[in-house]
Amino acid sequence: MKESWKSWLTLLGRLLLGGVLLAAGYLKAKNPTEATASVRVYKLLPVGAANIFGYCLPWIEIGLALLLIVGIWVRQVSVLSGALMVLFIFAVGQAWARKLAINCGCFGNGGVSADGKVHPGVYLTEILRDIGLTVVAGYLYRFPHGKLGLDKAEVSDI
Amino acid sequence: MADKKKKSKHQPVKKQGDAFTRYLVIGMIALIVLAGVGAALAKNHSNSHAPVPASVSKADGYGISLNPTAKVKVDMFEDFRCPNCKNFEAVNNTYVNQLVREGKINAVYHPMSFIAPDSAIAAAAAACAADQGKFLEMHTALYANQPDSSVTPENTAYWTNAQLILLGHSVGITSKTFDTCVNSGKYIPWTKNIAADAAARNINGTPTVIVNGKTLPLATDYDAKAFTKVFTDLGIK
Repeated sequence: MKESWKSWLTLLGRLLLGGVLLAAGYLKAKNPTEATASVRVYKLLPVGAANIFGYCLPWIEIGLALLLIVGIWVRQVSVLSGALMVLFIFAVGQAWARKLAINCGCFGNGGVSADGKVHPGVYLTEILRDIGLTVVAGYLYRFPHGKLGLDKAEVSDI
Repeated sequence: MADKKKKSKHQPVKKQGDAFTRYLVIGMIALIVLAGVGAALAKNHSNSHAPVPASVSKADGYGISLNPTAKVKVDMFEDFRCPNCKNFEAVNNTYVNQLVREGKINAVYHPMSFIAPDSAIAAAAAACAADQGKFLEMHTALYANQPDSSVTPENTAYWTNAQLILLGHSVGITSKTFDTCVNSGKYIPWTKNIAADAAARNINGTPTVIVNGKTLPLATDYDAKAFTKVFTDLGIK
């Protein structure tokens, strides 16, 4: 009983991480041209592969988001979401280090930055947000069973 | 704490009634993801059967090519609703149009359609104007009449087909074919070909101006002096 706040926190974490992923996925899925450009500008993949990844990524994010929100496979999905965040942190970090003048493109609006210049604030904000979301994913891995989830609850988490 | 965790691994609480709902939800989510990926991969290919406007070739990335025999080739990737493209046009439109009219450059226009919901109908209307030999005029008019992005944000719709037809008439198009072309959305599929080609060419923003295969820095695009110098350096006077 006294640990019930944990399951509310799990629900909050699921909605937070799921909500961010859903928004990110939806805004990119709406605009495939921008979504692919925002993958290409990180210069991590050859153009053809970047385009395929750009078309698929929004739907992967949407899928992970929906699973988190309804609370299915929370532990596994939290690992995948955390891995995705680490990948994003790496991508943004290397773009910053290489001085690639880009918008993050995390929520659409990707591509080359409007004035063709490097804006350190952009990279820093993205990295800090993704670190925060990685922490949320970590919490969900530790306490996957919260309120209103479709996963079968386990004793320890109730 | 550690104790409890150990225990939980072996004693899941059974909630049999939920199993069906759970699989149903998993199935629906899987369907959404697969359908989304499938549609995204299928829709964003170029379609070789799409009707294309006059003076377009696949080799030029489906761009509208004016003076194809001129030696200096200028590829311009723009979106009719992109405010920075309007800046580029405000600075260089007169000069570029003059070079095209004098036959000094092979201008290849790639009208992109990712900024606003009406970018595609604007691009398609410009293609309809190309069929009437009025591409340059329509192109100029579309930028001259682009809404102020502080009033109409760049990602909200502005143009309607009716307005685009009137705009075409204002630059001297009289043929009914143009009206039909715009209204029927004849060249909307072609705008996807433009996008697919731009993706394959690693075009990551608009405007992108490429002169003889070399992408100009954005700073050059917005600076009339620097932009003109690119062409005078290539022997164009």
